[in-house]
Amino acid sequence: MKSLFDRLRGSVRWRCWLQHVLIACLCAPVLQAQAAMPAQERLSIVVSICTDPGSYRSAMDRVVQVVVGTSPEDADWGKTFLERLQAVALICREQGGPVFKVEHGHVDAVTLEPVTDAVDELPMVPTLVLARLLKNSQAETELFSPDVLTRRAAAQRMSQAYAQINEPLVRLALSKAADAEVMETLELTLAKRSLASESADLRVGAIRAMGSAPSEGTRTLLKNYQEDRPDMGPGERAALTQSLSQINRVLWVGKAASIIFSGLSYAGVLLITALGLSIVFGLLGVINLAHGEFIMIGAYATFVVEKWLQAHAPGWFDAYVFLAIPFAFVVCALIGMVLEMTIIRHLYKRPLETLLATWAVSIALIKLVQILFGSQNVEFITPSFLQGGVQLYPALFVTWNRVFAIALALVIFAAAYALIRHTRFGLLIRATTQRRDTARALGIPAPSIDRMAFGLGSGLAGLAGVVLTQIASVNPSMGTSFVIDAFMVVVLGGAGSLVGTAVSSLVLGEVNQLIEPFYGAVAAKVAVLLLIVLIIQRRPQGLFALKTRG
Amino acid sequence: MPTAAISLRPSFRISSQLGLPALLVCVALVLPLFNAVFPPGHPLHLSLFVVNLVGQIMCFALLALALDFVWGLLGVLSLGHGIFFGIGGYVMGFHLLNSAYADTQVLPDFMQFMGWSTFPAALQPFAELPVAVLLGLMMAVLVGGVVGLAAFRSRINGVYFSIITQALTYALMLLLFNNDLGLGGNNGLTGFTLLAGFDLAHESTQVGLASLSAVVLAAVFFLLRWLALSSFGQAMVAVRDDEARLRFLGFRTDRIKLAAWCLSAAVAALAGMLYVPQVGIINPGIVSPMLSVEIAVWVAIGGRGTLIGAVLGAVILNCLKFWLSAEIPSAWPFVLAGITLLITVALQNGLWGGLQQLRALRATA
Repeated sequence: MKSLFDRLRGSVRWRCWLQHVLIACLCAPVLQAQAAMPAQERLSIVVSICTDPGSYRSAMDRVVQVVVGTSPEDADWGKTFLERLQAVALICREQGGPVFKVEHGHVDAVTLEPVTDAVDELPMVPTLVLARLLKNSQAETELFSPDVLTRRAAAQRMSQAYAQINEPLVRLALSKAADAEVMETLELTLAKRSLASESADLRVGAIRAMGSAPSEGTRTLLKNYQEDRPDMGPGERAALTQSLSQINRVLWVGKAASIIFSGLSYAGVLLITALGLSIVFGLLGVINLAHGEFIMIGAYATFVVEKWLQAHAPGWFDAYVFLAIPFAFVVCALIGMVLEMTIIRHLYKRPLETLLATWAVSIALIKLVQILFGSQNVEFITPSFLQGGVQLYPALFVTWNRVFAIALALVIFAAAYALIRHTRFGLLIRATTQRRDTARALGIPAPSIDRMAFGLGSGLAGLAGVVLTQIASVNPSMGTSFVIDAFMVVVLGGAGSLVGTAVSSLVLGEVNQLIEPFYGAVAAKVAVLLLIVLIIQRRPQGLFALKTRG
Repeated sequence: MPTAAISLRPSFRISSQLGLPALLVCVALVLPLFNAVFPPGHPLHLSLFVVNLVGQIMCFALLALALDFVWGLLGVLSLGHGIFFGIGGYVMGFHLLNSAYADTQVLPDFMQFMGWSTFPAALQPFAELPVAVLLGLMMAVLVGGVVGLAAFRSRINGVYFSIITQALTYALMLLLFNNDLGLGGNNGLTGFTLLAGFDLAHESTQVGLASLSAVVLAAVFFLLRWLALSSFGQAMVAVRDDEARLRFLGFRTDRIKLAAWCLSAAVAALAGMLYVPQVGIINPGIVSPMLSVEIAVWVAIGGRGTLIGAVLGAVILNCLKFWLSAEIPSAWPFVLAGITLLITVALQNGLWGGLQQLRALRATA
């Protein structure tokens, strides 16, 4: 298990590294020009703003390059410059260099050193043209902000002012963007810019380029373009038709792949929630309605680990998901074993009573967690390596947290399968399930095997809780919605069959996500339920019925 | 009928159980008497709040009775009786919306939010009370029939049946939460004014409804008990104890189960119909899986398979719930969990069964 996680993290690091190299290459031409910018350069920017309206554009571009450049002092200066200019605080003097008005007195516009001599001129009020340029430049710098919402807003601004943007800079931002929305907006911005060009050749080129870079945005853009220009030339029209059909084809494939992927990720969640239940229900015959609450406890255990790391080892914060895995497992397994010892043990021959008893346990656990942690949703900070995702294909954006859920579900499934099929403990569990009396006659301590199997099932539920912290909202009553789905999976797959659980969660996940985009979530749930009832008509014991002799 | 007494539990001896209907009829008489005769402030005066509470508890007892009929006697644990309760409740809600609209000529709020300008035609068949009641019962029987037919024919039983019915409840709840369905979504149906010409806001109407609930409970109890003691009841118990053997003997066990199941669904719907005018609102919360499990818990605590135990359990648990929820709200789940665990682990036959055992012990001693 450990080596696998190491590999996972390795690949994540590798991704970051690649990104850095890519950015470095793309930035090189832009950045070289202003490495260690001399004061002369700063002065020339300020002076051209002060004196020459014709050079506003180039001056603003230079400032933006300074801000997004490598040198932090220069970046600070650039930011201050933009901010002061917007605040109407740049004073261009006849004698002496330009200064910024600050809260107490004035500072030199180039060095930002305080200025002692008296300043009696009025600050410069930006013209309308300059104000618009300023806004754009501000947005251009914000394209590189660490805050994703700021970046999205900036990208929107770029899209509105597509005619005036600084193209190389937008391309640079595009290469650095990790957010799907920002990426798409910026791509659109560039496409719009080319479409609006005067030259027909350029436009055809843009149309062709858009055809080979399909997305929902380019499709809308081209469709609008088609409607807006009924008088376009035959060459352009042919290119447009071709591009549109190309986009449609690619998007259809992407959409299909995206539905399959979301089905997979839903299947991963189902598998991981149903796995523990399958063991408890299938092998022990216990209807554990408190299973959902074990999932919830696993999620809260993750929350505790997260908070602890935040307080005591912030450097290791991102690893909380991995640290929480053993912790949640142990906590849930222990609670499960205590539950088995005190209550379930007395009810093995009466499955309907276990149902009521575990329901009672579940309401008590929900209330307990409500009292301890409050009843509102708990906020989790996603580890940096699970943030964002990758655009695998047009219209197929794969988020890392979903990939993580699928991967972890598979790992846990493999581990549970190996445990049941290939270890001594698994052998004992199977023996006790299939022929309890014979197993006991052979000296297998059936009661303690029951207890450990119940602990295993509960622990697996705890692991499901860890995964769900990354993709679902965590609150004390989160378990109730998962437990019913998990039971459906087990009923369809056949109680006690781990392979059956995997297959049925895959089927249910895919069917659900296939219906949901077209008819809504409720219809999908109802359809899945009907499907199960229909299948159970044919196979009352589930798809993969376990052959036991009681 | 000596043979019936042999195959049923001792609690079903005829003499022992005529007391409950009589008691319920007394309750039905006492409610208006103590509410109307004694003036407010008199120590014997029953406030509207208490009367209303008694009425609600009668409805819950009716619901528990319906579940005990199939669980205790037939061995089929349904975690979906909330569905039938909800069907009855919503149908009554449709009727009350109709009469409220006829009364005030103002469309219910949620319809205005939906942008409707006229009262929907789909809800107009429920305008007459007898028709609405009949339609509600028929819908419950129909839904129950379809579910039962699918389940019993393919011999889905035991815990599988419980799980499937619970999932159905969950699906129905999600469906009702949907605003587009046009049934008020999250907020449900409310704003009722008239029932059969009586003003629902008036005290005497509520007292009357509570008394009616008690009488209906007594009548249904009487009916179900008579059925349980008949040869049909014997067949039900036989299905519970050894379905395969009964099938081999040539009985169509799926038909026996279906008949009992549909009757139980109708009783649950009746409980819903009585419940809604008393609380004045029906929303999807009524079909939450939580409530449906809770019904089973009432029955288990009271003692299943005895009918009287179901009524006992529902009354005790709901009294406790109303009292504790008002006094120490956060303690209620723990108390409920504690009682449930205690009963399931230690007192299998519930309170009534425990009482019977005690009586039997004393008789032998």
